[in-house]
Amino acid sequence: MERNRPGFLRTLWGNALFSPKTTLGFMRVDFVVGEVFILSLTQMVFFAFVATLAGGGPASVTYVVVGNAVSSVTYSSIFSVCQTTDSEKQQGTLEPLLASPAGRLPLYLGRGLIPILLSLATVAVGLGYAVGLYHVPVAGGALGPLAFSVVLTAFAMVGFGLFLGAIALFLRTSIILGNIFLFLGLVVSGVNFPLSYLPLPVQWVGYAFPLTWGVASVRATLAGAPLSQVLPLWGYLGLSGVASYALAMVCLGLFERLAYRTGSLVKF
Amino acid sequence: MTSPPHPGLRGIRASLRLSLLSFVADPQWLIPSSIAPVIFALASFEMFRGSGPTLVLYAVLGASTMSMWGQTLYGSGWATGQDRFLGTLEPTLVAPTPYIYVVAGRVIWNVVTGLVGGVLVLGVVLWAYGQPLPLTNGLVFLALFLVLMGSLAAVGLLFTALFVYTRFSGFIQNVGEFSFYIISGAMFPVILLPFWVSPFSLAFPATWAVDALRYVGIPGYQGLPFGLMGDLLGTLGTSLAYLAVALGVFRWVEHHLLEAGTASDY
Repeated sequence: MERNRPGFLRTLWGNALFSPKTTLGFMRVDFVVGEVFILSLTQMVFFAFVATLAGGGPASVTYVVVGNAVSSVTYSSIFSVCQTTDSEKQQGTLEPLLASPAGRLPLYLGRGLIPILLSLATVAVGLGYAVGLYHVPVAGGALGPLAFSVVLTAFAMVGFGLFLGAIALFLRTSIILGNIFLFLGLVVSGVNFPLSYLPLPVQWVGYAFPLTWGVASVRATLAGAPLSQVLPLWGYLGLSGVASYALAMVCLGLFERLAYRTGSLVKF
Repeated sequence: MTSPPHPGLRGIRASLRLSLLSFVADPQWLIPSSIAPVIFALASFEMFRGSGPTLVLYAVLGASTMSMWGQTLYGSGWATGQDRFLGTLEPTLVAPTPYIYVVAGRVIWNVVTGLVGGVLVLGVVLWAYGQPLPLTNGLVFLALFLVLMGSLAAVGLLFTALFVYTRFSGFIQNVGEFSFYIISGAMFPVILLPFWVSPFSLAFPATWAVDALRYVGIPGYQGLPFGLMGDLLGTLGTSLAYLAVALGVFRWVEHHLLEAGTASDY
């Protein structure tokens, strides 16, 4: 009955609170510590050495470490969020969940709240490494706009993760999809080299990926770029985030129906 | 009358068979451990753009090594972690066949799939490069590739011993994958690393094997100061040391785990 449908906020909050015990149950403390503190560091150090070997000099290393600090957001925002559908399937809880009257938007958005927080922490720690270990300069007064860029990036990337999770609803497993998009940004998002190095069609793929705008806005705010330069980047980033959430909701509806019809809902 | 097969051999054969059946049932699991190396290699390509064919070899070799390592680490870690998750670790440990034979079967299988993964990555990266690999000693290179895989298998065996003991195999896998990429110098010479990392690098068989591969594949390469033969001896010595330690750790871990009763903790 429609009047018994739980409210938006209740569903959102309930799912946010329970997700660490259920769909994000695989994210134990050791997993989170590794994701936030170690993976961001090792990925950054690896590409910093590759940049050194390539002979680009200190400017190139700075470019690479900032890009990798931001791209480490994909571990919590894409991989973890994408995996939640797998967890539901493995635990056999997806069918009863989808049979419930809860609204889909608060249900999935609630499950994304913890990953948003983790994404914030991952990028913050990554940028801390970049500044502390590689002496990346931070312009005066850049902290506020930088924080906003990071928050917007985390929000947009979790939306993208939900979109992939929606596709995974129909697939047997999300692990391949998650792995592809976990690292794809390293090539198409201007993380390690400018997008202009790539063929034009690949550049367009990059422009559709929120990480590209996240990396660009973090670089701009770190350098203390004027608001007139940063605002369009935030605009594109916000737009890509909203588009990701909208696509996620459309795909969840579509693939939910398809999964019911084909029985792939219980396939794992 | 033929005598029954040695229980160890029977255990290895059964474990190999199960690994093969699992793989045939779901071969897609080869892909996840190959995606990261392919993308890392493509990113490195662009960063090495215009630096000549030598650095291309770094990218190709590095990507293949990383793929093989991913398969070894994840194959070993995942199997043991799943044993804990599914509750099959405890009954396997108390079976008359020592657990190391079960693990050996899995490691042998991981060597095979690791090589397949390595070749797969090599193919994708070469396709993206669009030119033949500038190799002069193809056969020696291939033989050294097998040596590298063998050295990774030795490391995999030791890691598996640790995975049996700990609930944190997932953590070790995540952290170990990228740490290996750095300390082994998979994509860059270890000489670029800070001096204090050297003992860790040299204690790792793959560091020696990768260096040997570069000596053969890259004309004029100046890597570790021991030369190709020194690298080969280093690979052999460290691999044997890993095997010996793994055997000792396995014995100790099995006893300790059964005494503590924590084999079903997850």
